[in-house]
Amino acid sequence: MPVVKVLTDGIGEIDMRSIDAYRKRDGYEQWKRALLHLKPEEVMEYADKSGLRGRGGAGFPTGRKWSFLPKNGKPRYLVCNSDEAEPGTFKDRMLIENVPHLVLEGMLLGTYGIGSHHAFIYVRGEFKEGFRTFTRAVEEARAAGFIGKDVLGSGYDVEVTVHRGAGAYICGEETGLLNSLEGKRGEPRLKPPFPAVEGLYGMPTVVNNVETLAYLVPILSRGWEWFAAVGTERSKGFKVVSVSGHVQRPGNYEVPLGTPVRELLELAGGLRPGRTLKAIQPGGGSSACIFEEHLDIPYDYESLAKAGTMLGSGAMVVFDDTTDFVKAAHNLVRFYAHESCGQCTPCREGGIWLERVLERLLEHRGLRGDLDMLHRVSSTITGTNLCPLGDSIEPFLRSVLLRFPEQFEACLIS
Amino acid sequence: MSQVGGFIAIEGEFGVTEREKAFPALLERLKPRCEEIIARYEEKRSALVQLMHLFQEHEGFVSPQAMRYASERLGITLADVESTVSFYTLLYRKPVGRYVVQVCRGLACSICGAEDAMRAFRERLGAGTLETTEDGLISYEEVECLAACDRAPCAQVNLEFVYDLDEKKIGEMIAAMRGGRYATAPMVQTEEPQRTWIVEQEGSIAQGRRSKGGLGVPDDPGGIDREGVIMLDRILAKGFAMHGASRERLVREVRDVTELVKEEGVRF
Repeated sequence: MPVVKVLTDGIGEIDMRSIDAYRKRDGYEQWKRALLHLKPEEVMEYADKSGLRGRGGAGFPTGRKWSFLPKNGKPRYLVCNSDEAEPGTFKDRMLIENVPHLVLEGMLLGTYGIGSHHAFIYVRGEFKEGFRTFTRAVEEARAAGFIGKDVLGSGYDVEVTVHRGAGAYICGEETGLLNSLEGKRGEPRLKPPFPAVEGLYGMPTVVNNVETLAYLVPILSRGWEWFAAVGTERSKGFKVVSVSGHVQRPGNYEVPLGTPVRELLELAGGLRPGRTLKAIQPGGGSSACIFEEHLDIPYDYESLAKAGTMLGSGAMVVFDDTTDFVKAAHNLVRFYAHESCGQCTPCREGGIWLERVLERLLEHRGLRGDLDMLHRVSSTITGTNLCPLGDSIEPFLRSVLLRFPEQFEACLIS
Repeated sequence: MSQVGGFIAIEGEFGVTEREKAFPALLERLKPRCEEIIARYEEKRSALVQLMHLFQEHEGFVSPQAMRYASERLGITLADVESTVSFYTLLYRKPVGRYVVQVCRGLACSICGAEDAMRAFRERLGAGTLETTEDGLISYEEVECLAACDRAPCAQVNLEFVYDLDEKKIGEMIAAMRGGRYATAPMVQTEEPQRTWIVEQEGSIAQGRRSKGGLGVPDDPGGIDREGVIMLDRILAKGFAMHGASRERLVREVRDVTELVKEEGVRF
């Protein structure tokens, strides 16, 4: 079994929430080393050469994202995205609740790497415990002299603000998050300009996911070569995969990228006795399903893209033969309809249309043409909005409509 | 009559509530914390939602007075404040119960028993989603994925997680809340909650459901489909969350329309 323990090392076994417990495990050593012995460019080089890609959903290369920041002397910001709300994803919550100092050290490294003096973490409103734990970690780190003015006598100032969301999936989208962080409605912004150029308060900003930033710590301690040696050509390193649904041991499993989907399924204890596999949604609510014939494909960015889906946030939801896919499709469509911010007509109206057509199917009152309409409306929504929320509706819906047409047809009026 | 936070507060007729009377003292007490929050940001508006969380903690909901204070202190219009507050589901613009039970209806939970859990809550509480129990103690809401899919079905009570829900656990939870011995502290309650804490929006199509636009749905002309099938059941299913008078009215209205269709042979 390829299970590894990098970020997840010790979670569930020892309490690592206090700064003392974290420092006993060499915590903050990389922050000290970076401040006293490395230039910001060198930290950026670690991020770049490791091949680390964004672990929040988009999979954008982290070093490249940082390199887009213009050198214009303006203040710049690092924002850690902990607004984890992609259906099926529960890894960032685990990290901020269990290893807050690891996440914080990663944030500090990122902040230094991009030459910023103020970092923010946007914690999902529902994560009351995570907010509490992380706020305490920041206070401890400040008391220990790792945050503040002239940190460890390095001459470098750094401040960290813990910000609490208030319930809105769309704030996980980076420009929606920035608006929300500015105290506004979390409506996404038109891009370009990208946040790297005009982000928080109109200043150059990098938004990175919790897991992405946390990986900076082991990348600095063990070297970028160690990280880049793991995984595949275009998917380097490790990934925490949240496995849930119809498996016997749902949970977070950290594996090298490129681990076959079948092995992930086995790590999670496989299916319940006597059940057969129907589908797997491999990368969060926004990803298309894969099926039995895809079990041997490697779990990495490029292989999943080739199979017509995506790695996304790394959330694998497993469906066995007890699944009603009309209900499942309705569930996810309702989610996107509910979470649409309402700015763009196709997403705002299309989501509600699809939801209501699916409601009709659920009541076995589907009309002739309803299935075509589901295809037509969902493909019309795709690519016609400011942000990817609308685009997220089609993949799952289309994949299960094509795979299980009999389940949908059974809901039409005969 | 004064316009406060987008609401019309009629003074005199209903008088000033205890909460309103207590607000100035509360504000004085919270001001230092407000200033401390505002100081964390380069631009003060960033503190808006954080301030609203703080006031909600002390008043049980985001009151018009709290919004007015934020508007004045942060230098933005009241309309801007209310527009922002209304965007976020965890900011309650009307009073809620002392326990807010939020059950996850996400996909992973829903295939692992969330439907049974939601049914158990609804039946035992006599409340549908976005409703508060008659006694004002418990508010109930079915919410999106809470990021605890490995412990499905899950929920939060006053934002603290509860995992692996089943009938027995749900029964015990409710009994503990009613008996005043639930593990999580109750929320502050400064005003009697109404049936729902959702502020009605123009174009709202059913209780507990917010319309985002005014457009109709293809092939769904409001209750009677192209084949002439009267969707009484469906409308009633939507009205599941309704209670008492509003449900009776809905049934009556649907019957009236049905009769009209039969008698007049109306086709939509």
